[in-house]
Amino acid sequence: MSGPASNERRERVIKKAADKAALEMTWTLERLRGRPDRKPAYDYFLKLAADGLSPAKAAERTGRPVVNLMCLQAPLELIHAAGFQPFKVFSGSPAEGGLAAQGFPALMCPMLRSVLGAVQVNRFPGSAAWVLPTTCDWLVKFPEMLKLAGTEIEAPLHWLELPHLKDGPEGRERWLDEVYRLKFFLEKLAGGRKIDRRQLRASIAVYDEAWRALGALAEKRRRGQLAAPWFFLLTGAFFLDRPEHWSEAVRRVLPQLEPGPEAPRVFLAGSPIFLPNFKLLWLMEEAGLAVAADDLCSGERLLPGGVNYSDASEFGLVSALAQRYHQGCLCPTFIDNDRRVNNILGPARQGDFKAVVFQVLKGCHPFDLESLTIEGPIRDQGLKYLRLETDYSPEDSQNLLTRLEAYRRTLGEDHESQHRP
Amino acid sequence: MNLNIGLDLGSTAIKLVMTEGDRLLWRSRTPTAPGQEAAARRLMAGGLAGLGLDESRVRRVAATGYGKKLFAGADKNIDEISANAAGIFKLSGARARTVINIGGQDLKVMTLDDRGRILDFKMNDKCAAGTGRFFEQAARILDTPLSEFGSLGRLAETDLELNSTCVVFAESEMVSLLARGAAKEDIVKSLNHSVARRVAGLMGRSNLGGDIYLDGGPAQNAGLVAALEDELMAEIKVVEEPQFTVAYGAALSLLE
Repeated sequence: MSGPASNERRERVIKKAADKAALEMTWTLERLRGRPDRKPAYDYFLKLAADGLSPAKAAERTGRPVVNLMCLQAPLELIHAAGFQPFKVFSGSPAEGGLAAQGFPALMCPMLRSVLGAVQVNRFPGSAAWVLPTTCDWLVKFPEMLKLAGTEIEAPLHWLELPHLKDGPEGRERWLDEVYRLKFFLEKLAGGRKIDRRQLRASIAVYDEAWRALGALAEKRRRGQLAAPWFFLLTGAFFLDRPEHWSEAVRRVLPQLEPGPEAPRVFLAGSPIFLPNFKLLWLMEEAGLAVAADDLCSGERLLPGGVNYSDASEFGLVSALAQRYHQGCLCPTFIDNDRRVNNILGPARQGDFKAVVFQVLKGCHPFDLESLTIEGPIRDQGLKYLRLETDYSPEDSQNLLTRLEAYRRTLGEDHESQHRP
Repeated sequence: MNLNIGLDLGSTAIKLVMTEGDRLLWRSRTPTAPGQEAAARRLMAGGLAGLGLDESRVRRVAATGYGKKLFAGADKNIDEISANAAGIFKLSGARARTVINIGGQDLKVMTLDDRGRILDFKMNDKCAAGTGRFFEQAARILDTPLSEFGSLGRLAETDLELNSTCVVFAESEMVSLLARGAAKEDIVKSLNHSVARRVAGLMGRSNLGGDIYLDGGPAQNAGLVAALEDELMAEIKVVEEPQFTVAYGAALSLLE
């Protein structure tokens, strides 16, 4: 059925989802604000999130046109050097996911589903362009699904075709070509203004500082001084302001942090966690588990790491960026991804944690499969391993909590006294 | 006499045990309904009356199960996986190494070491397929008490294929089978086998070491036990009154 009545009904449905999504964010932020471990320096991040996870806000705040991104493959420095503010599009909203649920596969990546809903409620307007890497099948089909949902990306769309083999020269060369294609796209988008060497070096320095701030934050968390919900609030706010401002705000947080309550420390792996859906983080805390480290692309992997270059020519800088973003990415979409398990086992050997919780978002097939392949090597090193499959809805909370509580008991100090015969 | 009480506030039933040390003195259950705390208190009162004791003899109370936080009078809360492991390990005489629990709305598989510690566990996610709820639904549709499922299944003459363990889809499948004249006995047998397949699927590549125990309410269904043995190619043991192992484990946790 189409016509005015149908359109009006659709508008009401969309408005209802938008209102509900706003409430979800309010609820999450209120829960954070009410925590006893809240520090004054968190207020900057709380305000960023409260103002809305939208590129329009980011554009207003930074004074730069925004380029929307998904995943972590497009070098942020390149976008920044072209005069744009990179904005990672994400959604952790069950309400936005619910809006998109109608008419799409039941077992669909909850993140992409929610992003589809977020586009329908028009949460990402005002961007100069979208850059989408071909990371997974859901992403490849994203524009088509948008059309099915009755909307589309209005800004120019640029695809980054991702080579899924990282370690061979062919993949590296193809990826470098892709990064150059992105550079040309951005230059055209900027009205023909070339990205020069000087701008690129300056942008590399800006993101290097952000990466160092993120590293300092992660180190505090490793030492038990930063609870996971705060960590993910801070990383979730990264794209909402100039990276320099974010780094400064993180530097203000660091001295305010102090040791939290003792709890078994775990490594959180797998699918990303995005605002406002902190379900797993709340449940882990309720079960008495502390996240010591993670490999989530919304967490410690937010930035790929410092870009090293000895050749400061334009080609040298672009090559170094391309290599860093390709080689440094631990996404399960890659075929040669051994670094992922080493990234867990390394800090485990240093005693940072003794257990791994792997979150799989239902429908996220690369993470689902990798959760199985890395289990053996992790257990072989004597680490405990818990795989949790979930989505954005709260209805499995009790089930997850039961598992987390039991897992906690297998790790805790009460383990030794646990039910002797 | 000082009593410890273990309360398992599950999704379909509230189970209570009263113990002195690790000695089981009393057990009783009631269906889960709104007002779980009041229902649990009635069970406690019934237990005390049955033992001829008053409330002053109650030393401590441990609560477990989905509703554990709804019982305000608990001295201790414990997750049902840990409670289950403790209870079955003790009741099996420290022999249980693999435990399959079929609860009201979940399936759990645990691997224990020789001291009863949990080495690993698996649990179904939010779907209630193949759980106690599924059997309840089947009992309603077949108009047959759950207690008869074991004996009925033994009378089956035909192997039917029930494709779904989904509580919702299986209903229409059972109705359709009945409409086509399928015998209840054959349907019950196929139900048992479909749940056994789901349990085996959950166990996946788990190592089936040592003695395997099945507990939870559906463990009283001998047909399900046989189906599981057939599916897993291993002997399945069941303790007496297997629906109380979790509550008993909660009571034991008070001795820690």
